[in-house]
Amino acid sequence: MIRARLSFLLAVLIPGAVRAQGYRLRVDLRGQAVSYRGVTLDSVPVGDTVPGVGGGPVTPDGIAALCVQGEAYCSFYRPGAPQRSDPVSTTADFTAWGFGLPGLSLHVLARGGADLGDAAVSWPGTTPAVQLLEGYAEYAQPRYVIRLGRQTQAAPIGFTGFDGASATARDARLGLDATGYLGWGLADASALPVTSAALNPLDDFQPVERQLVAGAALGFRSAPFDVRWSYERQVDRRSDYFVSERTRVDAALRPLAGWSLTASGMYDLAQALWGNVDLRLAWQARSGRADAAVGVSRYRPDFDLWTIWGAFSPTAYRSLDGSLDLVPWRALTLHVTGQVYKYDPTGASAPLVDVQSSGWRFAWDGAYTLSARWRLDAGYHAEFGPGASSRGFTGGAAYALGERVNLSAHAGTLDTPLEFRVDDASVWMLGAAVAYRPSGRWSLDADATRYAENRKRPDAAGFDWNQLRLSARVTLYFGSGTGAGGVPAAVGAMPEGPR
Amino acid sequence: MTRALLCALALCFAGAPARAQFDHAKHAKVFPSCVGCHAGVARAGAPLYPDSAACAACHDGTVERRVPYAAPAESLRTNLRFSHLTHVAKAPRAKCVSCHQDADTLWMAVRAPVVSRCLDCHGIRTAHLDAPDTACATCHYPLASAPRLARADVARFPEPPSHRASGFAGGGHGVLANAGTPVAASCATCHSRSFCLECHVDAPERPQIQALAEDPRGDAIAVTLQPPVTHAGADFLRTHGAASRLPSATCATCHTRESCLTCHVATPAVAVALHSAEPGRGAGAQLSRHRPAWHTADFQRHHAPSAETAVQTCAACHTRRDCLQCHRPDAAGAGAYHPAGFLSRHPAAAYSRESSCNTCHNPGQFCVSCHKSAGLVATGTLGSGYHDANRFFLAGHGVAARQSLETCTSCHVERDCLTCHSALGGRRFDPHGPGFDAARMIKKNPEVCTACHGTSIPTQ
Repeated sequence: MIRARLSFLLAVLIPGAVRAQGYRLRVDLRGQAVSYRGVTLDSVPVGDTVPGVGGGPVTPDGIAALCVQGEAYCSFYRPGAPQRSDPVSTTADFTAWGFGLPGLSLHVLARGGADLGDAAVSWPGTTPAVQLLEGYAEYAQPRYVIRLGRQTQAAPIGFTGFDGASATARDARLGLDATGYLGWGLADASALPVTSAALNPLDDFQPVERQLVAGAALGFRSAPFDVRWSYERQVDRRSDYFVSERTRVDAALRPLAGWSLTASGMYDLAQALWGNVDLRLAWQARSGRADAAVGVSRYRPDFDLWTIWGAFSPTAYRSLDGSLDLVPWRALTLHVTGQVYKYDPTGASAPLVDVQSSGWRFAWDGAYTLSARWRLDAGYHAEFGPGASSRGFTGGAAYALGERVNLSAHAGTLDTPLEFRVDDASVWMLGAAVAYRPSGRWSLDADATRYAENRKRPDAAGFDWNQLRLSARVTLYFGSGTGAGGVPAAVGAMPEGPR
Repeated sequence: MTRALLCALALCFAGAPARAQFDHAKHAKVFPSCVGCHAGVARAGAPLYPDSAACAACHDGTVERRVPYAAPAESLRTNLRFSHLTHVAKAPRAKCVSCHQDADTLWMAVRAPVVSRCLDCHGIRTAHLDAPDTACATCHYPLASAPRLARADVARFPEPPSHRASGFAGGGHGVLANAGTPVAASCATCHSRSFCLECHVDAPERPQIQALAEDPRGDAIAVTLQPPVTHAGADFLRTHGAASRLPSATCATCHTRESCLTCHVATPAVAVALHSAEPGRGAGAQLSRHRPAWHTADFQRHHAPSAETAVQTCAACHTRRDCLQCHRPDAAGAGAYHPAGFLSRHPAAAYSRESSCNTCHNPGQFCVSCHKSAGLVATGTLGSGYHDANRFFLAGHGVAARQSLETCTSCHVERDCLTCHSALGGRRFDPHGPGFDAARMIKKNPEVCTACHGTSIPTQ
């Protein structure tokens, strides 16, 4: 019925001359119910404050206060009524083809969202209510692809979104491809332009015009070796100055079956600084029962030149990490990972504040399949580093009720000592989830998790943050043509979590 | 296929309907010949077994006690191709005892015939199940011509050793089936078309399969499609695309178009050439999508180089929507990339960049807006109170700021820092550190310099 209505709608909206012969539509409906601490702005006379645990002024009942020299009152946030957010969103992924020109297709990925909770707060990402993530026409032939419209370049040099054109030419026989793109850019990791007020909640400096984005990439692929060079620049249209200019090289070498060596390096041409660099060696056993990877990397954040942050010389860190996956026997999988890292010298002396310059993180997890129906998993993670640390256990059990219903329960503990504040906390999490896959046409997922927090702060600001978080997701598939199950089941079957 | 032999012969005798057993040895002195009772062995139309009246001639309750005897009323559950009349005609010198008695035993020490006697006479010098694949039909009817065999009987057919040989399931059986009529007839001893349909997607295109009769009992012999050795390599998942385009590729034997689409989100050219699942074709290999071996546990954090160098490989299984699940996360989306409860522990992960947050999260849209709702931003009045574990944090925050500047910007705006770090006023603390290239910055974008220096931008 829904399909018939949709077909009717398409038939009405699209002129007959360009009516598509096939389409796929996936609609994702998601909602959450979340509560979190509320805070109320309050003030206290300067004379009523007392030195707190860290030496700073606090209210008589222990809440940290900000006292500005020369002002009679200090301000602070008092615990307030719990805030409630009920974000809901709908994501529609639509592809149509068969317009009479082989290779021509239309792609739209749009998202609508709103926060149905307290009006005083707005859940991140729900403004504006409708966002177009992608919307482009594509003309694809074996040797080239051309796209026009809002699109993304999913590349490590930057996940760049823009309104414009892109073209890719390729020679599969030689393994060569080349890409170029040009357009008006979107903000990093957002479907909104940099001028959007939604990206500037604190009313900071903000560009007044969208930047121009231009990029190019060249790649070579073969069985044992891949390499790709990419370049991107973003230019402030108002001043013609650079917003960013970066180049990057990625390579992958597979000398022997089961072995791979990948390397990447990014260079910030605008600031003449090396950015992220990564070198990684991975191995997989032929049996598939073990794999391991070890890598060294360097991480340095990139800031656009229309902010002052780049001039503050953010420091890079270098890390060594490794991971090991084992399947000792078929029902058991084990995973261990660890990383140590150390920051480069910052050039800033801080005799009054002791800040860690190195850290580590470690985690293990395992899953045991008791039977075709039961599966257990458990894990532990710990990390210690500058600014913050945490450690905790997680565990869960999943039960397959037939082929269509999957029930699971999960629990976890978390301790989070924070280095720069008196605010240690421990959290218990206990939740349950259900996944229902009645057919290839729709699916339902729901989760309820209770968080119980004990904030170990020795003053009035240490109030707890207990909440019940609910989430639900309904996914609908529509489609026509080959594989009329809509979007291939593979997409729906992809694992949701890291493992 | 010759597994039927042993079973069939067993069934021929042991599988007969239950009845009172006739003790031949006990009657050795009574009967001088076999055909006296088993006339059907030598004379067409005569019964193979005697009538109970024949027994009653002696077992009348007076001379001898009465006995319950009934001649077998049904034909036996067997697929044995055997006729006494034919054998008598072809081998007139053969005697009943040649098959029904062991050598050097007393008269009427009758036993069930053993397969080796059949093999001996037919010149087959092997054990029963080692008989050549051309020989089954010599003694056995095709499965479809043995209607009295139940599914359970078919399921119990023994598997010949030749079928366990390496490569037999993968392609060896096909070579044999192609060899010609004698072999094909032997296959039919145990198999019908429905057996082949347990694996073969291309059954309609295979004349050898189509030559088999359709019989639903055929799939009583359960078979599990095993991946051939060519699929066992660690790199097979990555290299199978190129292999499938070779002229010698035989993907269509076991794979439907749908099996490609289990993983592939587009429809590869090879897949188009495959048959779609439909009645009359085998289901073929049942695939499930799983992480390739090279997607190691930390692949999600380190997939960038692989994705960049060979995005076409990614596109085989992923749509751009998959990328956007994380790179532009859904506002109301439950955790996908991050584990459950990550919100509670994200401060630690964000401080030291377990992964690069702003690859997927716009700081203004996600971090600052949420921190603002929670009172964790600097432009409000909580300010330095957040860093209350250290009284002098503000005075010594430089190291922390340079190490985790991205974290700072999730609560602080540029104006907060310009209060002190500006050449135009305030305390004029120089924020520039190691690696700062003033000349480069001026060349690329001098406007950013004016935020602190106004129009008097130093050249160094």
